[in-house]
Amino acid sequence: MTAPVFDLTGGQVVLGGRRILDDVDVRVQAGEFVAVLGANGSGKTTLVRALVGLVPLAAGRLELFGTPLRSFRDWPRLGYVPQRLAVGGGVPATVGEVVASGRTGRVSRLRRFSKDDRRAVTHALEDVGLADRVHDAVATLSGGQQQRVLIARALAGEPEVLVLDEPTAGVDADSQDTLAGALGHLSNAGGSVVLVAHELGPLAGLIGRAVVLSHGRVVSDGPPPQPEGHHADPHHVHLHAHEGLPPQRAGFGLT
Amino acid sequence: MSLLEFDFMRRALVAAVLVGLAAPAIGTFLVQRKLSLMGDGIGHIALTGVALGFLLGTAPVLTAIVVAIAGAVAIELVRERGRASGDVALALLFYGGIAGGVLLIGLAPGGTNATLVGYLFGSLSSVTGTDLVVIVALSVAVLAVVTVFARELFAVCQDEEVARVSGLPVRFLNILVAVSAAVTVTVAMRVVGLLLVSALMVVPVATSQQLTRSFRATLLGACLVGAVASVSGLVVAFYADVAPGAATVVLALGGFLVAVLLGSARRLVAR
Repeated sequence: MTAPVFDLTGGQVVLGGRRILDDVDVRVQAGEFVAVLGANGSGKTTLVRALVGLVPLAAGRLELFGTPLRSFRDWPRLGYVPQRLAVGGGVPATVGEVVASGRTGRVSRLRRFSKDDRRAVTHALEDVGLADRVHDAVATLSGGQQQRVLIARALAGEPEVLVLDEPTAGVDADSQDTLAGALGHLSNAGGSVVLVAHELGPLAGLIGRAVVLSHGRVVSDGPPPQPEGHHADPHHVHLHAHEGLPPQRAGFGLT
Repeated sequence: MSLLEFDFMRRALVAAVLVGLAAPAIGTFLVQRKLSLMGDGIGHIALTGVALGFLLGTAPVLTAIVVAIAGAVAIELVRERGRASGDVALALLFYGGIAGGVLLIGLAPGGTNATLVGYLFGSLSSVTGTDLVVIVALSVAVLAVVTVFARELFAVCQDEEVARVSGLPVRFLNILVAVSAAVTVTVAMRVVGLLLVSALMVVPVATSQQLTRSFRATLLGACLVGAVASVSGLVVAFYADVAPGAATVVLALGGFLVAVLLGSARRLVAR
């Protein structure tokens, strides 16, 4: 049996003197499609940032593919898509350049991109439906398209596991469908996906397991909750605010 | 061309071409990560290094390089730890650098603020044969770093966190950028002066990106603009008898305005 992709036990994260995560156990097996759900401020983003090693653990133990984080070196097996409103950078860059940069970790310093590298970049662009925009400046794309560029950048590294932080936030419906398609391909090919979501939209059908956080602790971990009653209507609007949050559109009563 | 009859002008031209290429090359990465003023911060710190050289009786360029590198690495570590934003870290360098320079030059035997002026505004015509060897070696080193590490530097400057997760040596690359910027500043201080160094790192990039879509084209275009501006600045300075550093920067800014107009015209036509 292969080692789990992520194995976090007793994970605690303290940022600026505040305890953001406490005693979190999360184990993700190869091939799983996991959603991390919870209200704003519940620690979702911190959890995925801790899983990819961007936030240090104050206590607990994290293994990636069976190797403790400290000695883990096989980073190209991971793909990470941070929460960003735009691709960013103060200098223009083409879609192709940004996506190709996701492959940098796989190509040694003095080597040029091989045929395989270029194929991976093209494939990633096709997967997010932007193959025809490869020579365009990223800044000329819409917000949803830029989000797809960020996902293609991670896919270009051909990762075994993709970690995404709110990939659907503020993204138009078309881009959400394209994104669901790309993640579906990765999942069907045996890849694992861990994503933070506030709103699942077209991703709902792909999710095999939901980890729900509240105030930095895991409050439920299992099959994704099924929408019921009027919550099942994908277009329903939450007019009754949850936990003091403003009314919002949601597919599940978890927001 | 009569200006080539002079030894000092031939040396100055070689220095101008190399600095004109190297400053925008590293500058492109600073602009990409939105640290356009980093060159300025390092320039101010280098002034302390120059004054330290006079105080210790060693070559000011040497101490300037050492102090500039130390300052650049310090700013990078402060930024990485998140103790202060890049913005505040830069402000600290600005004030510390100028105050340190003026303080130390006062302590140096026979040193006055006037001693520093040649470094603040450049003195290209005083470049000696030994200076030129140092300028050539360091400029070529900076250009080599940019060429060899271009792909990784692009990834880090584009998105540091993603670069970290993809296993790139992020801290090493950040320090590499900081050290290269520090070396560039001290080399360019002879050409345009410490107060205008950053202009040669940033203005050509700003000019180039008015007309480009890709990072690669912006980088190459910026190097071209930088080399043309510093050579023509030198030529203008020779015939008009003005300061070469100022002429270079004014010409680069003129080029920027032309590029803005061309870029807007092209967008109007494309519409």
